[in-house]
Amino acid sequence: MTTQKSDYTWINPLAAWGTATGNQSAPSVEVPDIRENWDKATGYKVPTYKVGRLKHYIIWPNHGEKLWTRWRWWPTRRNMLHVTGIYNRKTAIAEKKILDRRPVYWLLCMAFLAIAPLLFPSNMQNTLLTAGTIFGIFAAINVCWTLIIGTASIFSLASYAVVGTAGFLTSWLSITYGVPWYVLPVIGSVVGLVFGLAIALPALRLDGFYYALLTLGLNELCRVFFTTSREFGSASGGLYGADSFISEAWDPMVQSHVGYYTSLLLLLAALSLFRLINGKRLGRILRMAPEKREAFAAACGVDYKRARIVIFLITSVALGFIGGFYAAQYRGVAFSIFSFDTVLLGLAMLAIGGIGKAEGAVLGTLVVVFLDKVLLDWGPMRHFMIGALMLAAVLFLNNGYFGIKRQFNAWREKKRGEWRSARTEKGGEALPEEATEIDDKDQLYFRRFDKIQRDYLKTLITPEIIEEHRRQPLGQHSEALERVLLYFRRTKMEDKYALHRAGPEGPYKIIAFSGQRGVSPRLVDDREYATVDEGYHAVFMRRVHDLMES
Amino acid sequence: MSEILKVEGLSAGYGPLRVLHDLDLVINAGERVGIVGLNGHGKTTLFYAIAGLTGWQRGSIELAGKQIGRTRSQGPGRYTHQIVRQGLAIMPQGDEIFNGLTVEEHLDSGAFTPEAWRTRKERKERVLDIFQPLRKLMKTPVGRLSGGERRMVSIGRGLMTDARLYLADEPSLGLAPKIGSAVMDALLQIDLKGSAMFIAEQNVALLEGRVDRIIGMHAGKLKGEASAASRLGER
Amino acid sequence: MDIFFVLTNAITVACIYGLIAIAVSITWSSLGLINLAYGFVFTFAGYGAWLVAQHINDHPALIAAAGIAMGAAAGVLVCLVVFIPLHDKPNFTTRGMIATLAISLIGSQSFLMFFGPRPKSLPELFGFWTLDLFGVRLTSDKIGIVVCSALMLFLVVRWMRGSRRGLEIRAMMMNPHAASIVGIGIRSTGIYVMAVTGAMGGLASVLLSQTYYIAPFNGLTPLIKGVSIALCGGLGSVQGAVIAAILLGLVEALTNEFLGGQYVLMTQFLFIIAVLVVRPRGISGLLDKAREQ
Repeated sequence: MTTQKSDYTWINPLAAWGTATGNQSAPSVEVPDIRENWDKATGYKVPTYKVGRLKHYIIWPNHGEKLWTRWRWWPTRRNMLHVTGIYNRKTAIAEKKILDRRPVYWLLCMAFLAIAPLLFPSNMQNTLLTAGTIFGIFAAINVCWTLIIGTASIFSLASYAVVGTAGFLTSWLSITYGVPWYVLPVIGSVVGLVFGLAIALPALRLDGFYYALLTLGLNELCRVFFTTSREFGSASGGLYGADSFISEAWDPMVQSHVGYYTSLLLLLAALSLFRLINGKRLGRILRMAPEKREAFAAACGVDYKRARIVIFLITSVALGFIGGFYAAQYRGVAFSIFSFDTVLLGLAMLAIGGIGKAEGAVLGTLVVVFLDKVLLDWGPMRHFMIGALMLAAVLFLNNGYFGIKRQFNAWREKKRGEWRSARTEKGGEALPEEATEIDDKDQLYFRRFDKIQRDYLKTLITPEIIEEHRRQPLGQHSEALERVLLYFRRTKMEDKYALHRAGPEGPYKIIAFSGQRGVSPRLVDDREYATVDEGYHAVFMRRVHDLMES
Repeated sequence: MSEILKVEGLSAGYGPLRVLHDLDLVINAGERVGIVGLNGHGKTTLFYAIAGLTGWQRGSIELAGKQIGRTRSQGPGRYTHQIVRQGLAIMPQGDEIFNGLTVEEHLDSGAFTPEAWRTRKERKERVLDIFQPLRKLMKTPVGRLSGGERRMVSIGRGLMTDARLYLADEPSLGLAPKIGSAVMDALLQIDLKGSAMFIAEQNVALLEGRVDRIIGMHAGKLKGEASAASRLGER
Repeated sequence: MDIFFVLTNAITVACIYGLIAIAVSITWSSLGLINLAYGFVFTFAGYGAWLVAQHINDHPALIAAAGIAMGAAAGVLVCLVVFIPLHDKPNFTTRGMIATLAISLIGSQSFLMFFGPRPKSLPELFGFWTLDLFGVRLTSDKIGIVVCSALMLFLVVRWMRGSRRGLEIRAMMMNPHAASIVGIGIRSTGIYVMAVTGAMGGLASVLLSQTYYIAPFNGLTPLIKGVSIALCGGLGSVQGAVIAAILLGLVEALTNEFLGGQYVLMTQFLFIIAVLVVRPRGISGLLDKAREQ
């Protein structure tokens, strides 16, 4: 229904009684029907998509009495799982969410590895057990390595050299002097410490990539040294004959199983070392000093250099231990541990899984060992595949498989921000995506209504009504001007304008309220108005200006 | 009158931040246009958007009739060199210079078209005529120059090719007032010969009355004579 | 063994490894990429030259040209696969290095699949003749290697100093962002850099195969040697690499003379570590952090 106005001149209804200021009539504008405008404005023009948040968490039932019960590591107060227990705000029912589910996944994976030998097909049993043993040892090495590269940010490529040196020295000691197997890892640790000390020294001075290239050379040096020296069996492709905890008298199957489970134990030990270092004080110190911000961290009192070297040394000891363990497990070491390909495969494992994460190191090792040791009949194709995987991981992923989630989220955030900022209509209306993030939904309705109203009022601002207001700021007005004035009167206290009388008879100046109790209003500008009506009109003009700007 | 730069509906920003809001702008051949606005209102972003250096942008930008803007959200700077090669000379804000190169090499690096490279000697002479103080410093590494001299080098580098559009981003920023106005004088002396110049400046006094028109920039929107047509209409 | 004989040997070997070192050094300083795929470039060029010698013609100039061309092609390949997609991504340096390592892994396995493990040898390029210089007998291949690598080095340095492209490369070394403003395309310049450094690797490959064979995994030693020389000389510095190549050659010669061949690597590494501990950025590395903002 539209009401057509035939007359554009407004007649003052009070004019019959005579007006003091003489405004019997004023030229005004036609006021469009608001209902029509409402219908037009509530039709949504911006393209919309179905939006919402994914439900990230499984919601477990809870009881009001148990909101604060947790599983704790006895006898400390530390939680086993990061759980939150709350009342749902909508339904008022107690519920429970596991915020960090990684411990559960770790437990499941470890349990799977523990029962895996029962699930192996019988024709593959031997291959898979051998591969599993290698997986355990290499995963342990890689977890330590990722501690060096990721947590300590020392780009060392000499981890396998440490393991190999410890392995060779302990095997040689065991063969020459008959050192029993249980001493080998201990001696290996000492070797690792010495080696670590020797290569930690340049790390203090050198920049990351100088150090990487240097350690790469060091690895080559070890290879040449051990393969050419006569004591370490240059002819036989390795040094074998060390004492082992796996007795040769046992059934071959039992030997494989013992090897598998001991290497799994080694992996568990390496993982707990990772947790102890990365999740505790040292790791936190280093997370405060990420690459390129070391100077800032140092200025905050973080001794990151010391922390890095300490981690490097602890990890070198662990790597030496693994070397000794390796010698005791396989009765010796092969030269291949020093070869460039081993370093490459190790780096592939880290790159595929994601540097700096224990789960990345383990997953990468699993993938690469599976390709390398189980799919034996693929020939040189295996290493080709590993190289291709590594290349793909590095080219497309910022930080390996376990970085995908974060990379995707960052990408989505960026895209969402771009779309959103490109689509926002100026004027404070919320977009659907944004709306899901605003808690108080009243705000959304208010903003939307306010925008519709402002758009409508903008159409009413014409020279006619400004002229009308100039003639008589107070009193009865035409419909268009009245509507505009009603909106202005309703605005919030912040930045609301007022007139300040500078002297007893004027002049007047415009001030704006702060909107906060106790904070005095500020002067808007230096302009002065002789009469109060001129002041009223100036405030009106300022408001009109603000409305047209918004 | 041919249009050197024609911007229509340009929006640009960095990630969730939108800096420019639907700008329309025309710059004609032979014009010297000033853009004035406070810090953080989008002057530099407008220049960056023309050069394709913002995070994302959409809308049309035509440089001498060729489309150089596109809806784009890949990394900044991917197409910058191609845009520059179509006849854009950017004299960036601050010290975007190559510290280790000498002044001479630095000027040479501005001459990227084969034709400019061949005639680089004459071109250098021309630049040195405008910036006399650089003549003695030709063999000095740029890193050792003072701020004013660096700005001269940076502007001189922009003059080494026959650009269609010169973008000078706050040429007086961070310089002593006297040197700043000297640099500005030099910019205003340059013979445009059918190309156009676009100068961003915070200090209106340096531009007032010396450029063909001044555009204001406020909160990502242009104020004032955004196209020459409206100016002609007013006269 | 005559000390001069050892010395000339050391110098010829240093020339070849010096080429690779300079290639590594230029790539790092202009592109910020630690290219560990020079082993792949090296073998690629070697096999390319061998194919040309087998199937087309075994004229020395043709073989050398084929080696250089194939090296440049391999360099461009590495650039296309690694540098262009990665150069504006986060963690570029680490990821670039790992990607080049992946290429060298893929490359050596592919060579193994296509050509088999049996080593190939190239025909003699410089003939058989000797020259008596101040009582030192110099064989043809030694003189040829020294002359060729010096010529290549001279040309590359000349090109870097004098040409427009060289200026672009040096500008990009200093400030990649400003370079794009001046109209220097990072990606096209990257291709030029990798082609030229690849060509250097290719020449090194052809020259080294005068003494050694071409085999799938033979790129590793030149790479390690080249990288060590580049490190010792300082990444990003051509004259540093030349000095380091000569010094390391001397160390090698002296070790051979007084200690024995098996200690060469060890003394070289001790020397490099000593140099790096005293000067962490090599003999004349970029002292300002031009490349690492």
